[in-house]
Amino acid sequence: MNERMKREAIRYLGYGKNTADDRTLMLIDEAFADIGKTAGPKSICRIFDMEQDADGTIRIGNMKIESRSLSRNLKGCTKVVLFGATLGVGVDRIITRASLTDMSRAVVLQACAAAYLEEFCDQKQLELGEELEKENLYLRPRFSPGYGDFDISYQKPLMQMLDCAKNIGLTMTDSCMMTPTKSVTALIGASPMKVRCPVAGCEACGKTDCEYRR
Amino acid sequence: MIRERLGKELLFFDGGMGTLLQEKGLAPGELPEMWNLTHPDEIREIHRHYIEAGSDIVLTNTFGANALKFHDETCSLEEVVKAAVDHVKDAIRSAKADRPVYTALDIGPTGKLLKPMGDLDFETAYEAFREVMIWGEKAGADLIHLETMSDTYELKAAVLAAKENTSLPVFATTIYDERGKLLTGADVPSVIAMLEGLRVDALGINCGLGPGQMIPVLEEYLKYSSLPVIVKPNAGLPKQKDGQTYYDVSPEEFAELMHEIARMGASVIGGCCGTTPEHIRAMARRCDDIQVSPPVEKDYTVVSSYGQSVFLGTGSKIIGERINPTGKKRFKQALKEHDLDYILREGIAQQDAGAHILDVNVGLPDIDETAMMREAVQELQSVVNLPLQIDTVDAEAMEAALRIYNGKAMINSVSGKQESMDKVFPLIQKYGGVVVGLTLDEDGIPDTADGRIRIAERIIEEAGKYGIRKKDIVIDALAMTISSEPEGAKVTLETLRRLRDEVGVNSVLGVSNISFGLPARPVVNAAFYTMAMMNGLSAGIINPMSEDMMKAWYAYHALMNLDANCENYIAKYAAAGTGAGGVNAPAAGKASERMTLKDAIVKGLKEDAAAVTKELAVDQEPLDIINRELIPALNQVGDGFEKGTVFLPQLLMSADAAKAAFGVLKDLMDKSGEVQEKKGTVVLATVKGDIHDIGKNIVKVLLENYSFDVIDLGKDVPPEKIVQTVKEKNVRLAGLSALMTTTVVSMEETIRLLRREAPECRIMVGGAVLNQEYADMIGADFYGKDAMQSVHYAQEVL
Repeated sequence: MNERMKREAIRYLGYGKNTADDRTLMLIDEAFADIGKTAGPKSICRIFDMEQDADGTIRIGNMKIESRSLSRNLKGCTKVVLFGATLGVGVDRIITRASLTDMSRAVVLQACAAAYLEEFCDQKQLELGEELEKENLYLRPRFSPGYGDFDISYQKPLMQMLDCAKNIGLTMTDSCMMTPTKSVTALIGASPMKVRCPVAGCEACGKTDCEYRR
Repeated sequence: MIRERLGKELLFFDGGMGTLLQEKGLAPGELPEMWNLTHPDEIREIHRHYIEAGSDIVLTNTFGANALKFHDETCSLEEVVKAAVDHVKDAIRSAKADRPVYTALDIGPTGKLLKPMGDLDFETAYEAFREVMIWGEKAGADLIHLETMSDTYELKAAVLAAKENTSLPVFATTIYDERGKLLTGADVPSVIAMLEGLRVDALGINCGLGPGQMIPVLEEYLKYSSLPVIVKPNAGLPKQKDGQTYYDVSPEEFAELMHEIARMGASVIGGCCGTTPEHIRAMARRCDDIQVSPPVEKDYTVVSSYGQSVFLGTGSKIIGERINPTGKKRFKQALKEHDLDYILREGIAQQDAGAHILDVNVGLPDIDETAMMREAVQELQSVVNLPLQIDTVDAEAMEAALRIYNGKAMINSVSGKQESMDKVFPLIQKYGGVVVGLTLDEDGIPDTADGRIRIAERIIEEAGKYGIRKKDIVIDALAMTISSEPEGAKVTLETLRRLRDEVGVNSVLGVSNISFGLPARPVVNAAFYTMAMMNGLSAGIINPMSEDMMKAWYAYHALMNLDANCENYIAKYAAAGTGAGGVNAPAAGKASERMTLKDAIVKGLKEDAAAVTKELAVDQEPLDIINRELIPALNQVGDGFEKGTVFLPQLLMSADAAKAAFGVLKDLMDKSGEVQEKKGTVVLATVKGDIHDIGKNIVKVLLENYSFDVIDLGKDVPPEKIVQTVKEKNVRLAGLSALMTTTVVSMEETIRLLRREAPECRIMVGGAVLNQEYADMIGADFYGKDAMQSVHYAQEVL
């Protein structure tokens, strides 16, 4: 477990800029240990050519996406990586289990699992970025369905194109919730221009009054 | 017929389909099954190439052809399946092969996760498989091939659908990762145990790995399987270039590895992703010198859950007996009130205490045992990964549980009575399982070991008529209390010994019966438990929460060299000190001298809160303790949370500590008949379509802390059920939770229905996407930003 993961978990738990108390810190350490033992992190990605129409419409294979926030994120990209990752169903089970016996443990597990997953995705994205830099392509921050005006229903074609169920055991409910719950799907733009993308992750979100905002 | 050839000669499957279709222009995300109608020539050509290359079994292009995955307005699924079978048949004709070629209806997973971890009902999955299988058989398929399955639960639904609706042979292969586990965590023996129990014709491995990586998994298959083993690897691990996935094991390399795989003992071989007719041709040529030796019947007694297998026969396994209402007032109450959480906690506690298998008995005269059994089994599977022992005399409940059980269950029980065997054995024959055979019959319980052995033998013989093997029977030698049967223990012990030495069958025993009617029962129980293990007891049905029993268990395994280097014993007891009696070292000092109850709660110290409360209750009234210490402590923490000086984990730790204190006081009040007034009842639910319930659970814990009765309907709750509960119990406040915009829709629908059917009920809502504006829009009475706000609102309106 690294310090960044721990910091993120504390933020997810609603501490804001406050420091966490010792007992919570202990719970966090235990939770990361449990998740480390239980999680079976898996990821999949595929690279596609993408086009962007004058009106911002994005085309990837047969998928057509209309979203202003995504369109901003992908501006100038020629390729896009479709990405899916999950910690597996075991983590859901330990959270459910803790919900029955010790709710404080359950919320800490929940937060730590989210932080663990983000770290895993960052790691995978970093590896991918290094690969693509050899081809002079530079990755943008990943962008997931459900953020900004990028409709959550895009989850479905995205998961189909990656064959997530078969490849990493990631599936979706009828209401577009991912199962296992500790999972991510995202688009990651790849541009031939090495520009520092102005916004990343949390800060890109329009919900400026969010209490979890970084 | 293929059944006659299975396991006697080497049979060749075909290779990849998807990768070839992509080469021919199938777009990412496009449904390959549509090509049966849109590109029939291409499909037939691929089949023909495989037949010419040497395939004996050809898979139809129907991997994703199920109603859950396949949606297309332009054609029906039935047409697709029929066309797919016809294409293989046409290809067989046009290839003019001089050998029989079989058409296998290919069935892949639905792409959805089953309940309780996902949202797909077991029976819905079953239906989706069923219709395709019926069409496939009608169109002329020779067998059903289930493949790339990563969840044993879904696989079970598929096997049952095939067995119950067609007469075709069933092959089943699963997909493993590099650790040799399914994506859902299951190990190889548990998959084999379940599939053999369901009586498939052949089983094995496909996809996920290349032939080289499959070899360790295959070794496990060959070790545990009594059935012919199928191996269908990818042409290596997937690689990417220019956005395309490719596989780079060449036909020659593939053939060489497949030769090794066949030599090891796999008898049905082929390829999966990335393999081509060239791979199959090279493989068939290379393997022409292989002599197949038929699979050997293995003698392991295995029960399994979705995630692990438990072997009986080495050491003694612990079957937790606590999920059983017999003689337990609190458990009976939980059953009557449909308090599943209580049952689940009993399961978790027993697993934590060291149980290997959990007995599940939910029979009570005035409840619907079948429904309760089904629910208990399903929910237990979401929190414990131990195999379950279905314990009921009701055949209907037994079948319901066996059907939805994810794995190979243990069943308690059948007896030597003809009627019992006639009832239970057909269920074991169909669903598989390890069944407990009680050594009693129409004449009662024999009082000699001879008599009990005779019944055991009769049970084994009768089971044989159903094809149930001795390894799947565990005999209960029956313990009779020594207070009325002076020779009881000796007879039981002799029976156990002879079951092991003469009959060669595993044994089980409800150990604690032995001391019924005696004082200090744990003393006798623990001693008898050790003696029983010494005489061969394969599994004791005991209370794993009993320290005495667990000490006996750990000590026995250490003494008999069943615990390498005494590792488990040391891990368990080292902290308690090494000296005699160290295990029981008492905690030092009085808790109430170290801290006040208020401190314990504010700091969130659960054990201390309970201990202090016990001490305070010696000379104080429970209600005084609640009003003077508990409530002020809760208020202090709640205020801190709202001011931003106390945070969620601390709030919940305090809530837990308060709950522990309340628990102590409630027990005392129950004894004295005193009643603490409840503040009112709240129904809580996570709305339909939503499976995230952590927020709702937080609210529940806090409301209970503040003396509200909470009816927790769980997650994914249909509006009708919420309304029905509110009306039936005349509830005045409902709390609804939703995580996402997609599920706020069902929240809105629930509110609409509640307004119409139960206008007097107030509605509070909460969840990640909600805010005041959104809550107003969908017509809620109150939006709770956090859990404390729901408490305040409940206090205001109830």
